[in-house]
Amino acid sequence: MLEIDTVTKRFGQVVVADALSLTVRPGDAVGVVGPNGAGKTSLFGMISGDLSPDAGEIRFAGLTVTRLDAAARCRLGVGRTYQVPRPFADLTVFENVLVAAQQGAGERGRAARATAADALARTGLSDLSDRLAGRLGLLQRKRLELARALATRPSLLLLDEVAGGLTDPEVAELVEIVRAARGDGLAVIWIEHVVRALTATVERLICLAGGRMIGDGPPAEVLASRAVQEVFLGVTP
Amino acid sequence: MKFLALITVVLAGVPFYAGPAWERPLIDLLTLAAMASLWNLLAGFAGLASFGQQAYLGIGAYALFATGLDPLVGVPVAAVAAGLAAVPASVPLLRLSGGHFAVATWVLAEIARLTVSMATGNTGVALPAAHEPLLRQAITYWWALAVAAGAVGGILLLSRGRYGLAARAVAGDAVAAAASGVKVTWTRRVAYCLAATGTGAVGAVLFADALYVQPSSIFNVQYSVSMMFMVLIGGIRTVEGPLLGALIFFGLQRALAGYGPWYLILLGVIAILMTLFLPRGIIGKVGRPWKSRAGRSYSVRWPLWPAARRRSKDRGPRAREPS
Ligand SMILES: Nc1ncnc2c1ncn2[C@@H]1O[C@H](COP(=O)(O)OP(=O)(O)OP(=O)(O)O)[C@@H](O)[C@H]1O
Ligand SMILES: [Mg+2]
Repeated sequence: MLEIDTVTKRFGQVVVADALSLTVRPGDAVGVVGPNGAGKTSLFGMISGDLSPDAGEIRFAGLTVTRLDAAARCRLGVGRTYQVPRPFADLTVFENVLVAAQQGAGERGRAARATAADALARTGLSDLSDRLAGRLGLLQRKRLELARALATRPSLLLLDEVAGGLTDPEVAELVEIVRAARGDGLAVIWIEHVVRALTATVERLICLAGGRMIGDGPPAEVLASRAVQEVFLGVTP
Repeated sequence: MKFLALITVVLAGVPFYAGPAWERPLIDLLTLAAMASLWNLLAGFAGLASFGQQAYLGIGAYALFATGLDPLVGVPVAAVAAGLAAVPASVPLLRLSGGHFAVATWVLAEIARLTVSMATGNTGVALPAAHEPLLRQAITYWWALAVAAGAVGGILLLSRGRYGLAARAVAGDAVAAAASGVKVTWTRRVAYCLAATGTGAVGAVLFADALYVQPSSIFNVQYSVSMMFMVLIGGIRTVEGPLLGALIFFGLQRALAGYGPWYLILLGVIAILMTLFLPRGIIGKVGRPWKSRAGRSYSVRWPLWPAARRRSKDRGPRAREPS
C-alpha cells in the first residue's frame, strides 16, 4: 500500500533521507528507531506531504502521491501524529477530532460526530470533549494527536513518538490503544525511542541513521545486529 | 441569530420613528461594524491578517461609479465586482502567510489605487444624487444596515458549520489542519473572497453616503488599520468582539475628532496597551455575559505571525506551510 522508492532529501548539508526505500503492506506494523536527527520525522513528513523529497517517488494506495499536498494524502488514507503535538488550541477537544472526521474522512452530520466520538472513546478522551485543546497536559495532547489521526479513518497511521515523555503506565495504556486500533487492517508505522513500546506491538523494526536504513527485520534481530548496536551504544569496530 | 434579527428589525425602522438625525451616525457605526466583522472573518477565522482590505472598499466604490447605477440596486453589483476581483488576487496572495501576506495585500491595494487613479484621475469622482436628499439618506442607511446585518449573520452561520470549523482549524495551525484533511488554500480563498465581497459592499455604501470618492481617501491603509484596531480591542475570533470594537472605535472617533493628530496617537497607545495587557480583546477577557449557542468563548491570541512563534518551541523538523 505504501512504497517509498529511492527517496532523497537534504537540508543544506544534512542528509535526512539517502536513497531510502521502504514498502509497507496493508495491516503491517512497522517500528522505526534511530538516533536523534536520523531523519525519522522527516520520513513521515515526506509520506504525509508536509515535506517534498528532492528525488525519488512515493506511492500510496496505487497512486503516485509525491506531488500531492498533505490534505489530499490525508483524504487518501494517510493519518499522522506530530512528535511535538499540534492541537488546534482554540478548538475544543471534540472539535479538534470532528474537523478531522469531516475533512479527512469526508463524513457529514451525524456520521462525522459518531466517528469523532468513537476516536475520543478509543483514546480515553471522552470526558474531556468540551475542554479547550490548548488547556490539555502532555499525555492528553499526545492522545489527542492519536485521536485526531484516527478520526480521519486512515488506512496507514504514522505515529511519531506518541509515547515520548510519558511514564511507564501511560506508555502501557498507549500501547493498548494502538493495538486495539490495529484490529481493522490498519497499517501502522511507529517511531519511538521507548523501544519497549515498539517490541510489544510491531513485528518488523527498521533502524535509520543519517538518512540510511541500517536495519530491517524482526525487532529482536534488528536490535541485536552489529550495525544497530554500534549506532546506539557508540561501539566502533 | 434571533437576537440579531430582532436588532435588525428595530434598526430598520429608525428612518420612520427616529428621523434623519439618527441615520448619519448610525451609517458610520454600521459600516464600521461591517468592516470589523469582515476583517475578523479573514484574520480571526482563516488566519489571514490583511492590511489591504481598502482595495475592496475602493473597488466597490468605483464599481458603483463605473456602472452608473442607482445605489438602490448598485450596492450588490459593487459587492459582486469586489468579490470577483478577489478571485485572481487570491492566487498569488494565498501562496503567502503571516506578515508576508499582510504586506502583499497592502502592495496589491496600492496597485489598485494607482490603476484607478490613472483611469479616473486623482481628484476623485462624484455620484449623481438619484433621489431627493431625505430618501437618499434613508436608502444609504438601509444598505448600511443590510450589509452589516448580512456580514454578521453570514459569519455567524459560517462559524457554526462545517466550513467554519475548518477555517478555525486553519487559523489555529495550518500544517496540522492540512494533515487532518482540510484543504487549506481553498478554505482561505473562500474567506478571502467573501470578506472582499462584503467589504466591496461597504465601499459602495461609503460612496453612496458621501456622494464623492477620491482614490487617496478610499484606498487608504488607514481603513485596514482601523479594522484591525476594532477587532483587537473587541476580541478577535468571536462574533461579538468586532461589534463591540466598532462601538468603542466609533465613540473614540466622535470624542477625539477635534484633537487632530493626538487622536491617532491615542489610538496607537490604546492598541499597544491592549495587545500587551488584553491580547484577547475585551470579549476574550470578560467572556460573554450572555450565553451563546456556540457554547464557549474561544481562547484568542494575536494570530499575525503564529508560525514564527510556534517554530521557536518546536524541536521537530519544520514542516512547510501547505500551499
Ligand atoms: N525544516 C528543516 N530545515 C532544516 N533542517 C531540518 C529541517 N527539518 C529537520 N531538519 C534537520 O534534519 C535532521 C533530521 O531531522 P528529523 O527530525 O527527521 O530527525 P529525527 O530522526 O526525527 O530525530 P528525533 O529523534 O530527534 O526526533 C535534523 O538534524 C534536523 O535538525
Ligand atoms: Mg523526530
